[in-house]
Amino acid sequence: MKKFVLLLLVCLLAGFAYADERLQLNGYIKNETGLRATDKNYPQKLKNIIELAGQYSIKDDELVFFAKAKYFYDSAYAKDKLDMAAHYMEHIQRTEWLRDCYLDYTEGPWFLRLGKQQVAWGQSDGVAVLDKVNPVDLREYWLPDMVDIRIPLWMFNINYSPKLNSNLQLLVIPDFEESQVAPIGAPFTIRAYQIFDNIMKIPNSRWNINQHFPGRRLNHATYGLQWSDRIGGTDYTLNFLYGPYSTARNTTIQTGLNFKVDRDYKLWRVYGGSFNKTITNPGLLQGITLRGDFAWYNDEPTYYGDPAAGSTKGIARWNNKFWLIGVDKNVLTRWTVSLQYAQYIMEHKLAKNNTLPASQQIAMNAFTYGVQDQLENIFTLRISSHFMNDRIKPEVLWSFTDDNQGKLSPKVSYEIKDNLFLTLGWHYFYGAAADSNGQFSHQSQIYTQLKYTF
Amino acid sequence: MKKLVLFLAAIALISSYCWAAELEYFQVYKPKEGMTADEIMQIEYFVKYTRFAHDVDMDGKAYFIDKSGSTRERETARLRITLGRKSDDIAYKDLVMFTSPQVKGLATLTWTYMDPKRQSDSWLWVPSLKKIKKISQANADDSFMGSDFTNEDILTRRFEDETYKLIKEENFKGYTCEHDKKIYFKNAPCFVIEAKPKNSPWYYSKRILWVDKNTGGGIYEEMYDPLGRMFKVIFKDYEIIKVNGKDYPEQILLEVKDLRTGHRTVIINTDIKFETGLSEDLFSERALTQTRW
Repeated sequence: MKKFVLLLLVCLLAGFAYADERLQLNGYIKNETGLRATDKNYPQKLKNIIELAGQYSIKDDELVFFAKAKYFYDSAYAKDKLDMAAHYMEHIQRTEWLRDCYLDYTEGPWFLRLGKQQVAWGQSDGVAVLDKVNPVDLREYWLPDMVDIRIPLWMFNINYSPKLNSNLQLLVIPDFEESQVAPIGAPFTIRAYQIFDNIMKIPNSRWNINQHFPGRRLNHATYGLQWSDRIGGTDYTLNFLYGPYSTARNTTIQTGLNFKVDRDYKLWRVYGGSFNKTITNPGLLQGITLRGDFAWYNDEPTYYGDPAAGSTKGIARWNNKFWLIGVDKNVLTRWTVSLQYAQYIMEHKLAKNNTLPASQQIAMNAFTYGVQDQLENIFTLRISSHFMNDRIKPEVLWSFTDDNQGKLSPKVSYEIKDNLFLTLGWHYFYGAAADSNGQFSHQSQIYTQLKYTF
Repeated sequence: MKKLVLFLAAIALISSYCWAAELEYFQVYKPKEGMTADEIMQIEYFVKYTRFAHDVDMDGKAYFIDKSGSTRERETARLRITLGRKSDDIAYKDLVMFTSPQVKGLATLTWTYMDPKRQSDSWLWVPSLKKIKKISQANADDSFMGSDFTNEDILTRRFEDETYKLIKEENFKGYTCEHDKKIYFKNAPCFVIEAKPKNSPWYYSKRILWVDKNTGGGIYEEMYDPLGRMFKVIFKDYEIIKVNGKDYPEQILLEVKDLRTGHRTVIINTDIKFETGLSEDLFSERALTQTRW
């Protein structure tokens, strides 16, 4: 019945599109097939996706309604190997099918976007330094496009431009969604979740898990403020974000075999800024684009505990810093090289008033329960090109840290014919099991994507 | 005597440069008999970059056709505001939005500066990131958006990048467009100009251009590789659009063929509107973030 309603809606919208030029429609159908490329091979995904977007101009460009819906079915989870994770992976979840649904209002210096949407801050590519407004869906780790990773939220996005090339943006976000990770049994289940699940399976253990979602109060909503301007050929932004952390932090109290777990979404703040500049004047550096993000995470909830035992002992509220600088350059006619270097600097202050030995107060990576270095050096290198009049587009993305762990992702896209695209690629993970990428070293993936746009 | 000739030649050069430099924005110029190659080419660039108009709004359709006849299409909406503003060196700002389904939402904003040695500033709205990326100006000899034009052909070549020689004046023999099989500009009076790049070595050694005496627009050009072999031909058709009593020539059909690969590109501009009073606010990063797709 649901499918029928969806089909009916598509037909109706298509009918309107022909009848009224104020309505524009666009969409795609896509198949994504992923095959585990290490150890035993099995399909990690056999996903069929349909996405449909529509825009209706109510009053020219002044008042416009836009909505985008997406549906997928992943038949890999119907197989025995992955069926345990099917509930969270087989279909699109809850309200996530609605990717955008908002009203745009433009009047002079004002621009209002009211409704469900994504807001991306910062200049970094694939590293979320300032891109913290929307929670993230990591059920396929960081492999999908960012537009599919961010979970859209209902919000008021109010913009005012006091002068040319400047903008003041205020975000008021009463909505809350928590970031998602893959469930137990999925290819990209994070190690921390796996460890927690193993503990939950201790025979005769009893668990009392309390999820404390942020209250529906003004001081538990998310607020964002961004000022952007241009000075002397440099674009810059100043950013502030306040709200609940999108990932719950667990506080576990164990009494014998009784476990009481409180899952809280702590309030935190992000202060930061970003910039970009292209060297346009003649000289050695002409043609280089420099960009960067800086963020100071105030009161970021961070686990400490005993990584050797894979157990957290508590949550510290630290002031951490994250900065990134990127350099892009077009070289040799058709090649683009993009290099990023980032540092995540943890405050690493031992918790006050507790009696734990220092060995149990080690900062822990929330994704792996491994050791979180006080200083994490992150590098990414992207090299891309195009051939045959943009018909073939090869690209390699290598992201790695100073812990000898990383991900190498080569891919090539081919436009078979108008509107039909084929992509072949490989995600190769390497590193230790307690590292962010290394935890998936047995889940390297060969994949294909076949996409038809309309 | 030799010194006098040199002096006169220098004076002629300087005066030619001055005349060229004095081409004011927002005027319509036409080539005249007796003009030098430099003067004619100044007008050709003026027409190419629509410096006569404050703004232009148009839709475009591009066809990429390989030698087997397989065709891919792209549709764009394009806005340009011409500023010619010395205070911040901005010549004009361009906004190109892709409207066809393959790359719907992809949009580029480009600011081009008056200083010919200065590269342009470009921003790209990437729908898969829902984010603006600042991008470096693409290499001049790289393909323009997958077409057979280079970036230089469409966007970045300036008058100052080449030296020019008037070869002859003749009536153009006519161009049979492969796209619509029509014959264009048969017997149209033209200046034939040889343009050689100052950059050397460069991907082409010279261009031979036919400039329409009626509009000053370049209608046909042959490009030669460093070994002197013709490797590309470009054709442009124009429409004269009357605006406030003035005749604005605008490119409405472009056809380019790469003779090495047999691939060709056809661009058709439609719904061209000049002087609609576009606001400069439309050519800003904020406007780019308002993209919905």
